[in-house]
Amino acid sequence: MPVAPTLLETQRSFLTALYDDNEAGPIDAIVGKGLEPAARLQIYRRSCNAIQTGALRASFPAVLALVGEDFFEQTAHGYRHAHPSNSGNLQGFGAHLAEYLASLPALADYQYVPDVAGLEWQRQLTALARHSATASPDAVARSSAGAGQSLAISLHPSVHLLASRHPVLTLWRYAMQPSPEPLRLDGAGENVVLWRADGEVAMATLDAASFACIESLAQGRPPGVAHTAALAADAEFDLAACLKSFAQCGLIIAPQDPATPH
Amino acid sequence: MDRSIVHGATPMPVAAGIGLRAPHVQRIMRERPPIAWLETHSENLFAAGGALHTAMESIRAEYPLSLHGVGLSLVSADALDGAHLARLLALVDRYQPALVSEHLCWGALDGRHSNDLLPLPFTEEAVTLAASRIGQVQDALGRDILVENISTYLRFDQGDYTEWEFVAEVVRRSGCGLLCDVNNIYVNSVNHGFDPHLYLRALPRAAVREIHLAGFTRKDNLEVPLLIDSHSRRVDAAVWDLYAEAIALFGPVPTLIEWDEDIPELEVLLAEAARAEEVLDARRAHAA
Repeated sequence: MPVAPTLLETQRSFLTALYDDNEAGPIDAIVGKGLEPAARLQIYRRSCNAIQTGALRASFPAVLALVGEDFFEQTAHGYRHAHPSNSGNLQGFGAHLAEYLASLPALADYQYVPDVAGLEWQRQLTALARHSATASPDAVARSSAGAGQSLAISLHPSVHLLASRHPVLTLWRYAMQPSPEPLRLDGAGENVVLWRADGEVAMATLDAASFACIESLAQGRPPGVAHTAALAADAEFDLAACLKSFAQCGLIIAPQDPATPH
Repeated sequence: MDRSIVHGATPMPVAAGIGLRAPHVQRIMRERPPIAWLETHSENLFAAGGALHTAMESIRAEYPLSLHGVGLSLVSADALDGAHLARLLALVDRYQPALVSEHLCWGALDGRHSNDLLPLPFTEEAVTLAASRIGQVQDALGRDILVENISTYLRFDQGDYTEWEFVAEVVRRSGCGLLCDVNNIYVNSVNHGFDPHLYLRALPRAAVREIHLAGFTRKDNLEVPLLIDSHSRRVDAAVWDLYAEAIALFGPVPTLIEWDEDIPELEVLLAEAARAEEVLDARRAHAA
């Protein structure tokens, strides 16, 4: 008499079959009742694929628009195998999609697609970042002036950065809201800052010096060091004006400012 | 002691609520429509911030809340995901929901997740493991949880219990509450050919603390009838009948209208909730 499989054996066989179409799964242990056991298992295989692909579709709408339904479905299928979901929370499932797209030979001539995916992933991180009160432009000006240049300026948790050698934000906007006019690109890359404004993800391109400045701040460097980094890109860079602009957009928190609500 | 009531910031009313879903969040925040209570998927709040947290902070004082988990994989044969449980605990501490529920199923193994609700064999081994895991979660959270019977499209030939005996035995051994999904009972009765009334009558009545109602879709072109628990339609007439029977058996119980695909206007959900409320009212009138 055959020994019944343990729960562990049944579950291992089941889950392997969900990820691999060539694995039969525990079909000998499944009651057919009018359907082939394999057909019943296939319902779960399709459901698992649909749920995980659906999560990618929700997180990467511009990539979907750029590559089309069929390619996206194929890519999602491959991605699920290369990077199986490692959490019961699907909010992190797309973390490696940009890297995966960059590895696909079919996209070798379309290397902007992985960068658009990277931008969409940064959008997700921005949308789900923790809340924090922002600093007033005056408070930031005080922090960055004189001796304050050695103080740390903290960026809002929602601030994320992406440097691309492609016009990644222009491409994202075109993919999300196609214009009847053909897209004209000058080939220049774009440095993008993302943040949350009024609950929505906001994005803007930055010039090289401002991007160097915010990159330095994001690394926890004081304003003086960020200033030096920015000057390397633009000798005329105005730190005070740049920080004021960041603060006006809500990119900076300043816990050392007693006027800032916590 | 009923720990789920002790820990609820706002007690759960015995009334019909709806699932809080993204298309309706802004409107509910803005207009504060009369809704008895709201339920949200716990995992949608696992991130540190975001629009749903903003909504929860805004509405939590006004609407009783229920947190409903879909990804804990309670009965996986390897181990519970400690990080997932820790996030759930933080969430429960933060929002103090009136109810916390999970599914009586598994969905992951060896660190690989299906993100789906997968069926269990109804064996003694699975009962023992389920009861132990529920105890582990209840100890971690410091409160009772509810477990929900799932819809399934296959069943295993090995088994020491029928599905309804399995559910009842897990609830009895663990001491948890039961979230009785009436739609899932109906879907399974068609998919596996059993009497849904028998199922309902076998459940431990005092343990039923919430009911779920949802719509299913019919899979065509198969040799046998098969229903998919799609949460994409109005509640079917047969499920309304079964719900009335459940309320007659269990007494009035907090009831949720679930809708997760092709989500309609809020009014449609509220109309479904109003219909459930009529069933609850009729039972109260009958008891009076």
